[in-house]
Amino acid sequence: MSFLKLLLPVVVPSWRFFDFISASPRVEFRASTGDQLPDEWRLLSCRPERLSWVQYLRALIWNPRWNDELFLVSCAERLLDKPTPHSEAEISTRILRYLHSESGDQQGDHFHYQFRIMLVSRVDKAIHQQQAYLSPMKSSSAS
Amino acid sequence: MGIEHAMSLSCLLMGFAFMLQSLEHLRGQARCAIVFFPRLLLSIGLMLAWQQPQWWSYLLSGLVITSLAMLWRYQGPYNGGSDRMGHLLLFSLCLATFLPAGKWQDLVLGYFSIQLILSYFIAGWVKLVNAQWRNGQALQDVFMFSAYPANESLRSWQFSMQLLRLASWMVMLLELAFPLALLSQQLLMLALSLTALFHLSNACFFGFNRFFWIWVSSYPLMFWFQERFILGS
Repeated sequence: MSFLKLLLPVVVPSWRFFDFISASPRVEFRASTGDQLPDEWRLLSCRPERLSWVQYLRALIWNPRWNDELFLVSCAERLLDKPTPHSEAEISTRILRYLHSESGDQQGDHFHYQFRIMLVSRVDKAIHQQQAYLSPMKSSSAS
Repeated sequence: MGIEHAMSLSCLLMGFAFMLQSLEHLRGQARCAIVFFPRLLLSIGLMLAWQQPQWWSYLLSGLVITSLAMLWRYQGPYNGGSDRMGHLLLFSLCLATFLPAGKWQDLVLGYFSIQLILSYFIAGWVKLVNAQWRNGQALQDVFMFSAYPANESLRSWQFSMQLLRLASWMVMLLELAFPLALLSQQLLMLALSLTALFHLSNACFFGFNRFFWIWVSSYPLMFWFQERFILGS
C-alpha cells in the first residue's frame, strides 16, 4: 500500500467505531510435521476462559498477547477485504510462532500448514459460522 | 490552561503510553526491535523532558519517524483506533513545536482538538442512527460472537439484555453530548472523567488498554482548547 494511503487515515481519521456489528473473523489452522494435514482445524486464539481482578488490572498496563490477537483480527479482516501478501504473512508468522512454541523447538521443526478464516455471525438467535477464506498449503521452510 | 502547559502534560502522558506500547512490542518480536527500541528510548526521553520544551522537537521528531516506520511495518495501524489517535496526537504536537506561537500553533492543536471531539460525537452518532444500537442488539452481538471480549466468561453478558440496552444508551448519550461539555470547565471535567471511565471499561471488557492511555493523553489539550476558543480566556 502506498505511504500516502497509510498516512491519510491517520491525518483525517474515521471515528466510526462499532457503527455496525458485522460478522467476526476467526483464524483456524491445521498443521503437521509430515506431508499429510489432519482433518481437524484449530483456533488460533489466546482468549482465556476468565480473568481474575489482578489480571484485569495488569492488562491495563501490560497486554501484549491480547493486543497482538487484535492485530490478528485486523489482518484477517484485511485479507477478506483485499488480500495482500502482508496480511497473509502476518497470519502465517503467528501460526508458526504458535507451532514452534507448542513443540518446544524454536528453529528445528518443519511444518506443513494451512489456515482458513471463518466468519462468525448471528442468524436469528443462533451462532453461524462460514468459511470465508482458505489459504494454500504452506511450509515453514518456505515462510 | 496555557498551550505550553497543555502540551507538556500531553507529552508526559503520551510518552508513558508509547513506553508501554513499545515494551509490549519488544516482548518476543525481535524483528520489530529496530523500530520499538528507539521508540522506547524516545518515549522515556519525552517523559523526562516533559517540562523542557527545548527538547520536544527533537524527541517528537524521532517518535514521528518511528510512527511512520510502524505504519509501514504493519501496513496501517497496529491497534486500530488507538494507533490512529496516537499517531495524530504525536504528529500534531510535533508540528506545533516547529510552528511559531500564536495562530499557527492554535491551528494545528485546534485541528487535533476538533478531531478528539469528533472521535466521540461521530462514534455516538453512527450508533444512534443504527436501530440495533438503540435496542441493545449491537452490544449483545459484541458479547455473543465478536472477537473482542477479553475472556470467554464475559460472553455471558449477552443474556443481560436490559443492562446492555441501558449501557448502549449511556454510551451513545455520553458520546453525543461530549461537545456540550465545552460550555463550562466543570462540565468538561465531568465529561472527561466519564469518558475516561468509558475507556477504562473498554480496557477491561475488550482489552483495549491502549485506547485508555492515548485518549487520556489528549485530554490536557481539551482544557486548552476550551479556554482558547470557547470560554475566550
